[in-house]
Amino acid sequence: MMTGETSNFDILIVGGGLVGCASAWHLARLGLKVLVAERGHLNAGASGQNAGSLHFQIERRFLEQGEKAAADGARIVTLNRLAIEEWRGIEDMLSRPLDVAMHGGLMVAETEEQMALLAFKVARENELGLSTQVLDRAQLRERAPSLSPHLAGAAWLAEEGHANPRILVDAFAEGAGEQGAQIRTGIALTALSMARDGTYRAVLSGPDGEMRVRTPRVLLASGHWVPRLAGMLGLNVPLYAAPLMMSVTDRTEPVLPYLIQHVGARLSMKQTEDGNLLIGGGWPSRLARRADGTPDLDRPATVEMKNLRANLAVAARVMPGLAQRSLLRTWTGTTCISADQLPIVGEIPAAPGLFVAAGGSLFTLGPVLARLLARTIVEGSPPEELSMFLPRRFAHLDAFAVLP
Amino acid sequence: MRRIEQGVTRPEPIAVEIDGASVMVHPGETVAVALLASASRRFRDDRSGAARGMFCNMGTCSECTVWAALGTSPWRRLRGCLMPVEPGLRISTREPEAMP
Repeated sequence: MMTGETSNFDILIVGGGLVGCASAWHLARLGLKVLVAERGHLNAGASGQNAGSLHFQIERRFLEQGEKAAADGARIVTLNRLAIEEWRGIEDMLSRPLDVAMHGGLMVAETEEQMALLAFKVARENELGLSTQVLDRAQLRERAPSLSPHLAGAAWLAEEGHANPRILVDAFAEGAGEQGAQIRTGIALTALSMARDGTYRAVLSGPDGEMRVRTPRVLLASGHWVPRLAGMLGLNVPLYAAPLMMSVTDRTEPVLPYLIQHVGARLSMKQTEDGNLLIGGGWPSRLARRADGTPDLDRPATVEMKNLRANLAVAARVMPGLAQRSLLRTWTGTTCISADQLPIVGEIPAAPGLFVAAGGSLFTLGPVLARLLARTIVEGSPPEELSMFLPRRFAHLDAFAVLP
Repeated sequence: MRRIEQGVTRPEPIAVEIDGASVMVHPGETVAVALLASASRRFRDDRSGAARGMFCNMGTCSECTVWAALGTSPWRRLRGCLMPVEPGLRISTREPEAMP
């Protein structure tokens, strides 16, 4: 399999997660000769470790950073509307069940102050065409009797829900393979350079040896490792590791058909097809560190007990019945955030042919971003829907790059 | 499965309850050991009712998950291989019908 010869591809995709495999699926269908290179195994990173939430309301992380961030958060709603359509059609598109449940989502509030924030958020969302709706205490009680009677209310969105992150990437990878994409695991990108003609040369290394690739295009779809890989070309992509954790309880009878979030606290909660309750919401785990104290992104983050307790306490406050359940497992996964909290998706201006796609919320947004990215790559220019996510907003960081 | 007896010294045994029966175990042993010593390999049932038993003995596979309660505390599902025995411990390999 591994030879010293150079193989030609139309695009090299680095990273076998959701963005990489979904992009491969689209690009292979559009006729490109695609190679996906994954260092470990498919879906091993954030794509398989995340909460599986399909959240389309403006996220709490935008609301807690003041009005400017809230305004940025609002802009993402236009993309969320496309994501809703994407998720509605994804099981048909991939011809298999993916545990997609879109029975609605509630962003709950515990105080009147939080209700005011929800009202502000819902008004903004309605302006942008997202039909969220404020439920008062009684309406919430009627909609979700398993939640605490002490909640002040919630914002309701009928299209929210959840899907199974364990099986989605496999579906994309298999479909991409059927369309002719080559998907290789256990090979890492160990060298990347731009030749004088503007094409790229990559070296992929695995236990069987090295593989050399020549390609006019490279897509870095490796989550929080994107900055490191872009660094091989001397480029700066402002993405920062965000180590999180998720917990799962034992199975119980169906009690929660909705996605639950909280406007004033970090919480995501849902019940899986099997009956387990999944609990997360953006609580940090602890990054592994090297001897010199710098983060070691190649080792898994560890559970931070204080944050785990706080996460479960919020969850039990929102749904008191949770206290009867047993915690089966808590795991960590590392996503990333960009300098302005929006995903970075598209071509790097300083390096034509080099594309990136990473930056958080990429389970919910991954499938639609992969579709838009594939259009960008094939048509040679980005569709309007991607404009606010393009890397060009950070072009100043590459003002001193020297390429090739 | 039997304990190695020759050349081994253990603390005085204590009684724990497994599926309603009293079983003698030694302090320092885990619930998984207690179950194996009770001559059962059945730790839990899967959804089809088939028996599942301890596999990894290091907290990874969760195949040894049982219900456990101490005194009047509520039943909890815990991995047997990670839980040391103690006096008054009750263990159930099936879902308990009521709180203890």
